[in-house]
Amino acid sequence: MKRILLALVLCSSLVAIAADDDRYSDLGNKIQCSCGCGQILIKCNHVGCPSSDAMIRQLRTALNNYSNDEDVLNWFRRSYGMTIVVAPSTHGFELTIWILPIVLAAVGLLLLFLVTRRWRSEAAPVGVVQIDPKLEELRKRARKETEL
Amino acid sequence: MPLIGSFCLLFALVLSAYCFVVGIWALASGHPVASRLGETARRAGMATFIAVAVSALALVWAALNNDFSLAYILHHTNRDLPTAYKLAALWSGQEGSLLFWALLLSAYGFVLRLRYKVDPRLTAYASVVLAGIQVFFLALVNFGGNPFGVMDTVRADGLGLNPLLQYPEMVIHPPMLYLGYVGMSVPFAFGLAALIMKYPGEKWIHITRRWTMVAWLFLTCGIILGGHWAYGVLGWGGYWGWDPVEIASFLPWISATAFLHSVMMQEKRGMMKKWNVWLIFITFLLSIFGTLLTRSGLVQSVHAFAQSNIGVWFYIFLAVCFVVCGFFFIKNYSHLKSENTLDSLVSRESSFLLNNVVLLFACIAFLCGTLFPILTEFVKGYKISVGPPYFNALAVPIGLFLLFLTGVGPLLAWRMTSFASIRRNFAAPAVFAVVVAIVLIALGLRPWALGATGPFLHWDYLPSWLTRTLKPLAWVDSDYSFTLTALTLAAFVIGIIALEFYRGGRVLQHKLGTNLFGAMYWLTRRNTRRYGGYIVHFGVVVIMVGLAGATFNKDKEQEMGLGSKMQIGNYELIGQKYTEDDLPNYESQAAILDVYQHGKFLSTLYPALVVYKASQQPDHKVAIRSTLKEDLYVVYEGKNPDTDQPIIKAIVNPLVSWLWIGWLITVFGTLVALVPNAAQLKSPVSMPSLIQARPGERAFEPVGAAK
Repeated sequence: MKRILLALVLCSSLVAIAADDDRYSDLGNKIQCSCGCGQILIKCNHVGCPSSDAMIRQLRTALNNYSNDEDVLNWFRRSYGMTIVVAPSTHGFELTIWILPIVLAAVGLLLLFLVTRRWRSEAAPVGVVQIDPKLEELRKRARKETEL
Repeated sequence: MPLIGSFCLLFALVLSAYCFVVGIWALASGHPVASRLGETARRAGMATFIAVAVSALALVWAALNNDFSLAYILHHTNRDLPTAYKLAALWSGQEGSLLFWALLLSAYGFVLRLRYKVDPRLTAYASVVLAGIQVFFLALVNFGGNPFGVMDTVRADGLGLNPLLQYPEMVIHPPMLYLGYVGMSVPFAFGLAALIMKYPGEKWIHITRRWTMVAWLFLTCGIILGGHWAYGVLGWGGYWGWDPVEIASFLPWISATAFLHSVMMQEKRGMMKKWNVWLIFITFLLSIFGTLLTRSGLVQSVHAFAQSNIGVWFYIFLAVCFVVCGFFFIKNYSHLKSENTLDSLVSRESSFLLNNVVLLFACIAFLCGTLFPILTEFVKGYKISVGPPYFNALAVPIGLFLLFLTGVGPLLAWRMTSFASIRRNFAAPAVFAVVVAIVLIALGLRPWALGATGPFLHWDYLPSWLTRTLKPLAWVDSDYSFTLTALTLAAFVIGIIALEFYRGGRVLQHKLGTNLFGAMYWLTRRNTRRYGGYIVHFGVVVIMVGLAGATFNKDKEQEMGLGSKMQIGNYELIGQKYTEDDLPNYESQAAILDVYQHGKFLSTLYPALVVYKASQQPDHKVAIRSTLKEDLYVVYEGKNPDTDQPIIKAIVNPLVSWLWIGWLITVFGTLVALVPNAAQLKSPVSMPSLIQARPGERAFEPVGAAK
């Protein structure tokens, strides 16, 4: 019984560690190093960086303190300023940048639809043309010879 | 020599101003001497190149001779700087790079004016447009950022070149990028010229096609070389970071790519004239915008090696260009009327249209992401950052859709494609793609089992019942799903391209009595544009395969003393030795690491950390063991001050070599497409003319001849 309990505890802690690693990687990729190198925090590796080690420790602590990812990012925003997070928030004005591509895509598709509709309406109606059997024979031969 | 350089710069400005003003007068005036004056304007334009070249040579001469009386040379070179990097000093700083831009523009203008006989009147108009651009850049170099500024006191040695720029690719990456940026001025000049003079027909497109392709090729090379430089120098194991300046180089590339595709609709069917004119205008404006971003400090960027207050020059120039383009577009709107319409939604035209909409969407969305921090500051009073999470979320689905179109588009027929034709052309590649997908899944690429989630499905913003319902589908937008899709689509497109070559080769094989490969060679020679295009598409597919590998990156960092071991992926690294060196330009610390795989010795790597003496800036010398399967990327990060032990970071980057191979294939394909067709080697481009009709028949007009 003791072994089973131990195994369960071990399994659940492994799952928790994996989840923490995912959060660490996910959020670490949304924060940039504050030293001015412009690199993503968990990829910042330039020599003598005065910031990244401390910030990574802070990230780990914040992951433990906050269960919500947005709270972790907000902690960094409060501590280092708004530019520290490179993934725009999905709230308030910053939501605009996430919505904009969808609006653009919709407008693009609408324009495409309107343009094609206009072109098609302008196109001269093509009457049903009687296919010349000789021509069709030649076409078949050409297809056969070119294997198209 | 600096005095000569400075004088030549001023003289070049006078010459280009003469070319611009007299050129306009000669074109607008009906005076008898107008044509002779126009000829002097053309020659003045050509002489501008000589004057700017002498000026650039003077600056290079100053760099090679350590003339630290010039502020520019003092700030960008030092005595022990290797000669190649002294040459690169020409484009390493702001003033020099503006001079370099002016030099390249004058060189393009020289060739354009030299080949004026291809169409004297169109070339005269284009020459005036180019002269206008040249006047702006020469005025900027003379009065906004003159590289011949003299120091009050002469120092014994210079401050050295930025260490990040001391890398062989830095000698060629910026020139390639500039050749691309500046090269876009030529099709822009021809496009605007054709619009101003209401040029009949599409000959201007034939003339500019090669110019556009050459500029596109240079831009492609510049972007990829920049990625390769970042990969080899910056030491973070990546090649693209969605930095604003990187995006700035990517935007004109996207619009130029759209132009190269949509222009075919104008050539073949006289369609999309308005769209094409704006595409080429936008491409040029974006290339100027890229320079503005790099040089003005408008947005924060690690690439903004030089910043100053010259931004206002660019704002004014961009505004003037936009107004001029808009004015002539409205004035000559009726000239741009389409001659044909879309016959079917399933046709080559519709695929080009879709391709263009997607590319332009990407262009606008990336531009918005780049400028959004400025907008936020304006609206909310604070600046934010928009980085890889946003751009990757957009780029991946766009890239996949374009990959799909890359395969489908070329096989659709002009005007209309029948269902039978679709089935005939796509069945085999689709089966091949499905087989590849099954093999990948069998090999373990099962997104649903790998437990990752992606950027689109933000569960916490949905109602809880919907979140619970959709949770099992969280893998759908994960990196693994995109990778599986990308590799499957890559197989589909490769299948289509291979089938195209095979079918065409088989037909020629019987005709020529040669083997299949010989037939494929002749097939390509006979239609270089089409088959060169297929090769370019193949190169893009290979690049996509290289990009898809990033999903499986692994990295590890640890202190490694002598004899210490690090295990990453299948590799085992063992610290053999740590050395220090003192060279004239820099001091270095290096690690000597033996690499083993499954107990078998593979090679020895030498990652190093160097400190440049002149600037006292540290820099990585990354060690990379590259194979077709993956790269082992090792960085010496320095010593831990607490333990005095070296810190080594190792990254395994799968498939990254395919990125560079794909680039080479793309370059090769573009070069093939630039070669004239074998059957047309001696046939010059002819002016479109009305075919004489027999009495009672309607005259046949060539595509594009409508007014």
